[in-house]
Amino acid sequence: MRANSPVEADAGARPAHEEDRHTPFLMYRRFFYFKTAVAAVIVSCILYWGYRPMGEPYGGTWVGYLLGTVGALLILWLMWFGYRKRAYLTNQGKLEAWLSAHVYFGLGLLIIATLHTGFHFGWNIHTAAYVLMCLVIVSGAFGIYCYVHYPRLMTQNRASTSMPQMLARIAVLNDELRASAMGIDDAAARLVTRSIEHTEIGGSAWQQITARYPNCTTAAALAGIDAIAARSTPEQQVAYRRLRVLLDEKAQILGRARRDISYKAMMDAWLYVHVPLSFALLAALLAHVVSVFVYW
Amino acid sequence: MQVEVTFLTRRGADAIMRKSQTVTAEVVRFGRGSDNEVQLPDIRVGLHAAVMAEREGGLVIQQAGDLTLRINGASAASGTVHPGDRIHLGPYELVIAEASAGFDVALTVELVQPLGDALERLQAESRIGLIQAGLSKRRWSWGLFIVFALLGLVLPLAVRPFGHVVTSSASVPAVDAIDFVSLSWNPGEVSNPHRFFAQNCNTCHTGVLASVPDRACLSCHAEVGNHLQAGLELGRSRADLAATRCATCHEEHRGVDAMVIRADALCTDCHATLAETAPKAGVRDVPRYPVGHPQFRATVVADAAKPSFARMVLGGDPKPVDRSNLVFSHAAHLVEKGFLTPSGFKVMTCADCHIPDPGGQGFQPITFEGQCHSCHDLKFDADLPWREVPHGDVAAVKNAVQDFYAHMALQGGVLDPDAPAIVRRPVGTPLPPAREGERRDALAWAAQRADAAMGIIFDEKRGCTYCHVTNRANGAFTVAPVFLRTRFLPQARFDHSKHAALDCAQCHDARHSENSADVLLPGIETCVACHGSERASIKTQSTCTSCHLFHRRELGPMKTASAGK
Repeated sequence: MRANSPVEADAGARPAHEEDRHTPFLMYRRFFYFKTAVAAVIVSCILYWGYRPMGEPYGGTWVGYLLGTVGALLILWLMWFGYRKRAYLTNQGKLEAWLSAHVYFGLGLLIIATLHTGFHFGWNIHTAAYVLMCLVIVSGAFGIYCYVHYPRLMTQNRASTSMPQMLARIAVLNDELRASAMGIDDAAARLVTRSIEHTEIGGSAWQQITARYPNCTTAAALAGIDAIAARSTPEQQVAYRRLRVLLDEKAQILGRARRDISYKAMMDAWLYVHVPLSFALLAALLAHVVSVFVYW
Repeated sequence: MQVEVTFLTRRGADAIMRKSQTVTAEVVRFGRGSDNEVQLPDIRVGLHAAVMAEREGGLVIQQAGDLTLRINGASAASGTVHPGDRIHLGPYELVIAEASAGFDVALTVELVQPLGDALERLQAESRIGLIQAGLSKRRWSWGLFIVFALLGLVLPLAVRPFGHVVTSSASVPAVDAIDFVSLSWNPGEVSNPHRFFAQNCNTCHTGVLASVPDRACLSCHAEVGNHLQAGLELGRSRADLAATRCATCHEEHRGVDAMVIRADALCTDCHATLAETAPKAGVRDVPRYPVGHPQFRATVVADAAKPSFARMVLGGDPKPVDRSNLVFSHAAHLVEKGFLTPSGFKVMTCADCHIPDPGGQGFQPITFEGQCHSCHDLKFDADLPWREVPHGDVAAVKNAVQDFYAHMALQGGVLDPDAPAIVRRPVGTPLPPAREGERRDALAWAAQRADAAMGIIFDEKRGCTYCHVTNRANGAFTVAPVFLRTRFLPQARFDHSKHAALDCAQCHDARHSENSADVLLPGIETCVACHGSERASIKTQSTCTSCHLFHRRELGPMKTASAGK
């Protein structure tokens, strides 16, 4: 653990612990990893365009081999981030630093690997590895967008609650609905029962991401209650009004919960592309390197 | 009817809480609504769910709403019940009990399907998070890894030992599944001439972790010519070249047209300093093209008789001279306004004599019969214009002339009034019995006429000497052998057919050449006017291989199958 630095006398001037202040991962250490990655890319470009092989640029010239080795090592290091991310007890560098480096070197890899190909593509395992790499990087770029865009939306949507709190409130509302439904019509009771017993929160991946719940029982109950209340007795109408208030609040919280799930799902979904494809890339990369050595 | 209703609530496994209630009514109604005699306060029960009453047959219970009634497990809209019977109404279980004193009916009511903890239920029903939706990064990662490893690595490795190797004597097989698997490892397009067999990698790649050996190439290309002349002392160059693999310069998998490297650097690596590293090669340094490429050295005839040749720098000192032993003036023939020829007035052009060979690269050799005879006849007697001497053999000329006049003498019909009578006799007249004097006259006449003719033919200026270098030593007339070179730059390939759009005079200044010894080749500056360096943008891109060949058949094979690695 780091030792805490002494608190400044005028704590209002700037944050007491500069390094504790949250920096977005893209800006980590004043874009240090961005600058490093750009430098690496520039060096690669200079190598590529500066060296004139006797034939054409190709993965098998010495520049090609150099860029290829760098690219392969980069891929392995980038994938190691998945392990580092879960090594909670380790001290190997801050996770923020790892993430920042991962993002910028991952983007730089796109250029370095493209130069390594010498712009030769075909229907073979080598181009397959390259395409997989591009898909991984593009999905990662989408991941950057998600990580920049969605957290703020999630915070705004939650409005100082949390998912367990929302679920607890819904459960309480369910109980209150049950209690308030004693004197109402059977038809209305059925609607309310269905709302209590089948509250859809989450579900299939598509449902979670799109937050579309066409069979929402609460919405159906709300719609149905109004129609039934219109032709009921004044005493019953009091009950229906109470039910309506409860159902409204439940619908509101449900919407918030579902939206929260949707944002979270978006922030997770791209990883279901990014990670499996990176393992596919690993296999293809292995085949690419082995084939180059076998057919030297 | 007095009904004792006992509400049962179970707490844990053993404890049961009982709460009794007395209902007095003829008809006992069960339901959610508060107006029921027995209120079942659960939302799952209808407002009015069932009705129980005493009838003649006994106690009857009847369904009153939508909720299905089940009596002892069987669904029934109504039924007569007795003590011990279990009735299920929604989540409630009603059990008819023995009525105690003072009561007509006794029953217990128990909520056997409680709703349970709302939050628990809610959480159990929710599926929050993509992992709960059944997606699994781990499964997909393993799956894709295995698929790509199998298809991309394991399968191609497995089929490696199989497949048919093609050589010049082994046939090309049909394409099969093994080829498609192997092709997944193909790193780049195979060159066009090799595509018909290259679906099997083993044709060239004969070993693991080893470069393509020379013998793989030599199995079809055994006759590829050498670059170095045998027997010359060339220092390191010979060893360096022998150690170079075919594949060093001929890279496969670079594209349909990319098999031969045409970059200057491939040649100038050695040729930039060749004059120092291998002086006996007699090759000048060529650092690059066009700047630094030395002036052409024309191979001219030094001595046509031997024949021997010399290489002389164009425009250099001494001036290159081609001693062909032919006396010929281009200027005299390429007269702008033309002149009279036996076949009429003619303006001569280059194409009249210089006929392209069938390949178009060069021109057919100049011959007397082909190019000169149509204007330059070999007649020797004005009275007899149909007779010409044969060309090219002095002895044959003499024989021909002598034979001719002897024939004339024997035949008769000579018109010359000074000729002896015997030869002037009309043709067809039989020869009279010859008298000695007449015979001698005829012989003398023939000899005299032959001498006269040969006097012209072998004259100092006329006859053969008009075009040939002749020698009259010791009375014997000899014509020096003529050697006309067809190629003055044999170390390069110049294709005239590719330059057919140009006019001959743009490169060859023949019109002003009066001497056949003139070497009419253009210097490199003429070529450089159009042919720029290998990456020129406003001139024709040219490299060493645009004009020079590396492999030259006339030097024998470059590598032998046994010597090649």
